[in-house]
Amino acid sequence: MNGNWINQSTSLSTVARVLRQNYDLWNYREILLPAIEEFEDELDKGTKFTDGMEFYVIKPDITSQILARLTDEKRRKLFYISEVLDGDTSGNWQFGAEYIGGDDLWMVLEIISSIITGLESLGIKDFFVDVGSKQVWESAISDIPDLREEVFSALYHRSFDLIDDLDITEEKKDQIWQLFNYRDKRCSYDRLNKILKNLDDERVFADFGTVRGMPYYEDLTFEIYSPGTGSPLGYGGEYTFFDSDACGFAFNLESVLEVFTGLERMERKKIGGPTKEKLTEAKNRIESGVPVEVES
Amino acid sequence: MKIVLPSGRLLEDSISVLRQTIPGLTIEKNRELTHSNGNHEVLLAKPADVPTYVEEGADIGITGRDVVHEKSPDVFVPLSLPFGQCRVSVARMDEDSTTPRQMDGYRIATEYPSITREFFRSLGVAIEVIVVDGSTELAPSAGIADAVVDVVQTGNTLAANGLVEAKTILESSALLLVNRISQKTQFDRVNELVYSIREVVKNGS
Repeated sequence: MNGNWINQSTSLSTVARVLRQNYDLWNYREILLPAIEEFEDELDKGTKFTDGMEFYVIKPDITSQILARLTDEKRRKLFYISEVLDGDTSGNWQFGAEYIGGDDLWMVLEIISSIITGLESLGIKDFFVDVGSKQVWESAISDIPDLREEVFSALYHRSFDLIDDLDITEEKKDQIWQLFNYRDKRCSYDRLNKILKNLDDERVFADFGTVRGMPYYEDLTFEIYSPGTGSPLGYGGEYTFFDSDACGFAFNLESVLEVFTGLERMERKKIGGPTKEKLTEAKNRIESGVPVEVES
Repeated sequence: MKIVLPSGRLLEDSISVLRQTIPGLTIEKNRELTHSNGNHEVLLAKPADVPTYVEEGADIGITGRDVVHEKSPDVFVPLSLPFGQCRVSVARMDEDSTTPRQMDGYRIATEYPSITREFFRSLGVAIEVIVVDGSTELAPSAGIADAVVDVVQTGNTLAANGLVEAKTILESSALLLVNRISQKTQFDRVNELVYSIREVVKNGS
């Protein structure tokens, strides 16, 4: 953060507060995780270090951190706010939610709905959610199993030129290209169509070019973005935890801040007078839920 | 639509492809770096900067695959284009018969530090990267490097500086880059343009 860090920090805090309220209303519970974990292969991102004896990771990807810590597959609805490091000292503040152990399609519907209400409660209405499917790609390239890794690498990098290099027919390249560039309000994949139909929101699209690269995603993945910023507001998708289905997502709060123009400030009751009296009135007002500004 | 094109050797072919999909597209031959063409604004930038412009707000751009692989920008790459062919190679002094696998401890001069590190890491060879900004092929004869990783078209420049190619790391050509958010928020416009360019490329025009 630069010299304007107090303003940025308070904006971040405001966004976090509103999103906390939103997820509380959706009945998610906040979790607080340690900043440093002993290193495990399951932990993505974060900054690794060693004390000469053990390896550790600071501020890893939260979904991977949650999955590494949970030891059972009970139904859970969790949310968090944390900074995730990129391998050095820089990182991104994230706000995310995880729904574990529910009905698979319902969890995607609820998570995307919670994203929509969360952004709207921040006054952000100009955004889109694009939903893609890993399974559609698995099916589309089932006839070229030896090139699966290369195709998914191209998808994760959003680079069709990597497909051009593959030793496959022009017809196959054309099929992949069509899928790579597919974005519409409906598609040929039933699971995704059910999502679009039930959400019934003009801002939600099927987009097969949207396949997130995190290793734990299983089928549907999605990205949230706005014309007001050059990078996605957030992303998420379906994964499996033990034998349970799950769905999660994370907002990149720095991107959210780029399109967040602030909230209307609540009217505050100004209180003055002698010290004891103004303290008593302030406490009474606050007990009644009235915001105050006490003159010093 | 805001289009950013690479100044230098890729410019003529870039304009030629785009002119077939955007009728009337012209770039005045002057020193201005911004040109308005009806609904389009064309910016000229150094090839290495094109990914940054596209990442940060230009709608589409053209640059080399070598640059894209080096910078790993967060952009959408829907097409490779049939011009700007070259390769990024390891080159060593003519009298040095060492292979890249034997270059442990070498100082490698390059404008492509990421590609270089990734390549030698994949071989399990520890090298020191010396980052230079142009005239890379001078580094070995100047004594600041033992070998180079550089872009090669004909090999004549390498030969003129006493260097020979030891290994091709990457075959490169021009790529079409699309801003990820534009690709979504202006999907119809962007996709129509991408489809048109693809048809031009497929027809070999």
